[in-house]
Amino acid sequence: MKLFEFQGKRLFKEFGIAVPEGTVFTASQPLLESMAAPKVLKAQVLAGGRGKSGGIKVVRSGVIDQEALNGLFTQIIEDEPVQAVLIEDMANILQEFYLSMTFLGSLATPVLIACPAGGMDIEEVAHNTPEKILRIHLNPLTGPSDYQVRTIAKEFGLKSSKELAHIINQLWKMFRHYEASLVEINPLALTSDGLMALDAKVVLDEKAAFRHTAAYNALLAEQEDILQTGEEVSSTKGDTITYVPLDGTVGLISDGAGTGMLTLDLIKDSGGNAANFCEMGGLTSPEVMYKAMEIVMANLDIKSLLVVLIGGFNRMDDMAEGIIRYRQDHGMRVPMVVRMCGTMEEVGKEMMRQADIPTYEDLIEAVRNAVSLAGGNA
Amino acid sequence: MAILINENTQILIQGITGKSGALQAKVMKQYGTKVVAGVTPGRGGQEVEGVPVYDLVSEAVRAHRIDAAISFVPAVFAKDSCMEIFDVGIKFLVLTTEGITDHDMVDIVAYARTKGARILGPGTAGLISPGKSKAGAHPPRMYTEGRVGVISKSGALSYEVGKNLTEAGIGQSTVLSVGGGPVWGMTQKDVVELFQADPETEIIVLLGEIGGTMEEEAAEYITNHLNKPVVTMIVGRAAPVGKSLGHAGAIIEGNKGTAAAKLELLQKAGARIASSPREIIQIIKEMRGE
Repeated sequence: MKLFEFQGKRLFKEFGIAVPEGTVFTASQPLLESMAAPKVLKAQVLAGGRGKSGGIKVVRSGVIDQEALNGLFTQIIEDEPVQAVLIEDMANILQEFYLSMTFLGSLATPVLIACPAGGMDIEEVAHNTPEKILRIHLNPLTGPSDYQVRTIAKEFGLKSSKELAHIINQLWKMFRHYEASLVEINPLALTSDGLMALDAKVVLDEKAAFRHTAAYNALLAEQEDILQTGEEVSSTKGDTITYVPLDGTVGLISDGAGTGMLTLDLIKDSGGNAANFCEMGGLTSPEVMYKAMEIVMANLDIKSLLVVLIGGFNRMDDMAEGIIRYRQDHGMRVPMVVRMCGTMEEVGKEMMRQADIPTYEDLIEAVRNAVSLAGGNA
Repeated sequence: MAILINENTQILIQGITGKSGALQAKVMKQYGTKVVAGVTPGRGGQEVEGVPVYDLVSEAVRAHRIDAAISFVPAVFAKDSCMEIFDVGIKFLVLTTEGITDHDMVDIVAYARTKGARILGPGTAGLISPGKSKAGAHPPRMYTEGRVGVISKSGALSYEVGKNLTEAGIGQSTVLSVGGGPVWGMTQKDVVELFQADPETEIIVLLGEIGGTMEEEAAEYITNHLNKPVVTMIVGRAAPVGKSLGHAGAIIEGNKGTAAAKLELLQKAGARIASSPREIIQIIKEMRGE
């Protein structure tokens, strides 16, 4: 779960990391009295690239009124209409740095990333001047060490590491406490009032929601209020289905991420186009199979449905039950191609035979059939 | 030989009384895996598929020699149960559990390192050394004993390729999946290293996917240290940008993590590139001069 900047800053504040004073306004909430400049107006969107898209306005003199705010509320950044604006005091910036904490997955280690050139696109810095970026592996059992902080302070050109140590240690505590997968301060500014987080990018690990139910739910509810999202594809909540819509005509369901991606490739290689990617997870139930069919079949562009099953933990009798029940309840408006093998396949195939649904053994053959039934070239 | 498990490996099942644990205890025993003990707190004294169940891992190791463990413990209890395994000195854990938080996972791996233990997973389908032993979900009929080592991230893809190899008469030394991430115990590189040292493995099949940097790290190892032939297939060539496809780490961000970039590095490292399981078979047959 990615947080809005103002939500991230609230967490920073909670952990004693200095942020500018600010107030959030939503589109439905008028500015009651105008504010005196200088202020920074920042569109609150979850999409990236806000600065480049004009989502940040610096007002150096005069007043900030509703009109100034409306200029941001009419913007759409990366397909996301701006629904909230953060108005902040302007900091007197002397120098800007970059600081973040995340994981290096293949080394299974937390990493502290620091760069003396802050305020810029860190990917760009990494590409052009990789030597400027420090990547310091942190021991999760002990957290950042003082010498690691001093290494960064030296790179930043700071005379004392004391204030930086406070920020890094508090950021670590927040990273751990809220089980974030990313906390990023860009820029971390040296101002006339000391070090201050001028931006906040925080991503929480949704897998940890069970341990932080109240906090995560409150943040999510606040986001839903702002985004005014009704029910999206979040109908898949609570199960393991991943659904990604694409623009082709072959509906696809798989019981593994790897085989799902392989099938996506094979559909393309066979001259077809997938209508979606839909993966159920490797340990699933008849109910999830049924639900996956509901989700995929809701797309009216689909001309054929390809179901690719290869069960390990997953049982083919369970999958057959889900498929057969879906067809009983809804019928099938497009032809269905089912490739089924793996755990309990004899029982699953027998159930399919009795329901008069043919099953395939060979993946490529199944793919070619599904593509051809959808009017592709195969 | 094979890697990590063989016909002599004595295995403990953590969470043996749960639905998955009990079913896999049965399938593993049928296959010939030496399942010697199970653990579920509060269920000590029972039996599952003829396997004695203990309340604590420490009780199980007093009664049996345990070489490896496989865990079906839910994510909520995973950290504690992993520490219990490492504290008694078990050096290899197959962690099938999905949904362990990233912070718990880095703690678990850091702790395992202090004890010199290896973790396959989390979210792994486990591994099979055909004809010898299996720990995990690999359907036995899809595998046959031989000299090709298979490494995958995805479990299902390691079944798919195993099935194709077996049907083509090509046997395997060990087949395993490391899981979908985004935080891993053993990596593809770690497994390549083990296959390099295994005299029974002649050819390595490396199955990767879009996202992350693990395939790149494996490519670097292959370039510098490997003297066995490698066939590789990276799935997600047709994937859209910016969407996670089932595995949290399987995502193309900007121009990073694409299949094309990974394939280029692996090709430079000397690996042969396949775009489907059928092509993997063709290349292996070519390599063997068949």
